[in-house]
Amino acid sequence: MMEGRTAPTVAASALRVFDLSLGQMLWSRRSVFLAILLGAPVLMAVAIRVLGARLGPIEVNGRAVNGAAVFGLMIWLLYIRFIVPVLGVFYGTSLIADEIDDKTITYLFTRPIRRSAVLLGKYLAYLASTVLLVLPSVMLVFFLVVPTGEGSLGAAFPSLLADFGMLTAGLIAYGAVFAFVGARLKRPLVAGLVFAFGWEPAALLLPGYLKRLTVAYYLQALVAHERPQDSPIGMLLQVFREVPPVGTSLISLALIVGLALWAASRAVEGREYVLEQ
Amino acid sequence: MTTRTRYFVFGSLLVLGVGVAAGLVAYSLGYSTIARSSAGGPPELQYVPRDAAIVAYADVQDVMGSDLRRRLKAALPSSENGQEEFQARTGINVETDIDRVVAVLARSSGSLEPHDGMVVASGRFDNTRIESLMREHGAQVEEYRNKRVLVSADAMHRRIEPDGRTPPAADRANRTFALAFLEPGIIAVGSSTLVRHAVDLDAGGDNITTNDQVMALVRALDNGNNAWALGHFEALRPEARLPDDIVRQLPAIDLFSVSAHIDGGVYGTLRAETRDDEAASNLRDVVRGLLALGRLQAGSNPEVQAMMQSLELGGSGRTVALSFSVPAELFDLMGDYARRRHSPGAPAR
Repeated sequence: MMEGRTAPTVAASALRVFDLSLGQMLWSRRSVFLAILLGAPVLMAVAIRVLGARLGPIEVNGRAVNGAAVFGLMIWLLYIRFIVPVLGVFYGTSLIADEIDDKTITYLFTRPIRRSAVLLGKYLAYLASTVLLVLPSVMLVFFLVVPTGEGSLGAAFPSLLADFGMLTAGLIAYGAVFAFVGARLKRPLVAGLVFAFGWEPAALLLPGYLKRLTVAYYLQALVAHERPQDSPIGMLLQVFREVPPVGTSLISLALIVGLALWAASRAVEGREYVLEQ
Repeated sequence: MTTRTRYFVFGSLLVLGVGVAAGLVAYSLGYSTIARSSAGGPPELQYVPRDAAIVAYADVQDVMGSDLRRRLKAALPSSENGQEEFQARTGINVETDIDRVVAVLARSSGSLEPHDGMVVASGRFDNTRIESLMREHGAQVEEYRNKRVLVSADAMHRRIEPDGRTPPAADRANRTFALAFLEPGIIAVGSSTLVRHAVDLDAGGDNITTNDQVMALVRALDNGNNAWALGHFEALRPEARLPDDIVRQLPAIDLFSVSAHIDGGVYGTLRAETRDDEAASNLRDVVRGLLALGRLQAGSNPEVQAMMQSLELGGSGRTVALSFSVPAELFDLMGDYARRRHSPGAPAR
């Protein structure tokens, strides 16, 4: 009887894995970390709004700062430089690694589906859960912060839509890169953290072509807000700043995603996972 | 998918949907209201020097969307070349990216002649694209008072003086072209001297909104008009290149202004503030004579006659005002005339 049934396609299998994994990702222990990570900017925005109403707008060097500028600063410092890479590292590296740690990968790999479909489904679940959490968080911060300091919601709204696109692109790219790291390496979290917070900031600082081997180089070209000069490193980055055109950045990010997912699929398909007893 | 996961997905999409809808409403309805500064006039006036020779404003979206603009575009399609070149050099599409502009001509120090020009534009700008395009065209990036300023020597170096000679080297060095990102959605483009001054004014200082005489006029001009300009008449004389005899005969005019509502046609008022009542009276006599001459010359064309009939002289005290109405059909005639000049074989309408 079973001989008449054909194996499901990669897309159908990936969607089934996505369906199962989305709930697992959202209601896991990691969700507490996610809630803190994305709730903190919203709490900061509430504080800025309350303090702004009581003490007047934020001032820098004696000048009132427009709410849109504060929002731009939060996008740079909190979301682009921290939240998006962190989410990529923690969720991307865990797509396969969690199943190995929980010793449940055997159950997935013994199903009559391609191993790459498991990876793809889990990657889509990561993308859905992070995008559905990050974008509402940014939206709340926007509506809380931008009206302070005589900022205009209407004038700043197009930049919010650009931010949505840019953050989604960042989650897609970082997720793909760290999915590969998770599928290929034994200690993916450490390697991911070194890449996101060691290699990327250092390569961006160095003059020459090395910065092209980072995700941040292409992602930061999509940011509509003024780059903050919050530290000596920020000022150095400003000096060595080389911004690729938007089209080049988008094509490069698409290539990074394609290559990383292809390499991750190959790694998952070819690797023998030995579960430690 | 479990029920609580489904609730989460719907909840998240609901927050996004409501937020985007609210943002769109704020963008489409509130923007023009919020954009008006409390001092009167557009908020971009805060970047205009107090002693600017000529200031002009246009609600670009209103003008670009007008019936008159559509007619002109159909009649004179070749007039888009300047726009395309500007877009190629800066990445800014004048029709879709810019909401409103304030243009300035400022006097060079020690001269009554307007020398430096700048446009402050507000709208939707892709800063990264603008920067990379300008850098491709040889612009240099510099930091000035924490703002990014793109300076290009190219545009001004190609400038030729009215008498046909090229400007001297020292003068050229001072006349570089610059673009600064003043605020999200606001850029300044023009002479680097003025652009840097706009950045200075962003940090505080005497801008044109502290000039009570000019601001009173701005509030009057801004009421119901989508384009206006005002300035010191002395600044216009060298550009107009009028013969000395006529210049000597002209009454002493201090400020001049023109305001217009551009829609199906152009409805507006030319206004001049003279130095005293006697000068105003003399100017009215001159204008009255010119109007009589114009009506005699109007000929049999009904559109030109209608325009001449619409001219109405008014004003009191030191103010002389001339209101006018230019029907859209007159622009059709002008377009027809321009087409015939460019292609003599084309049939006349």
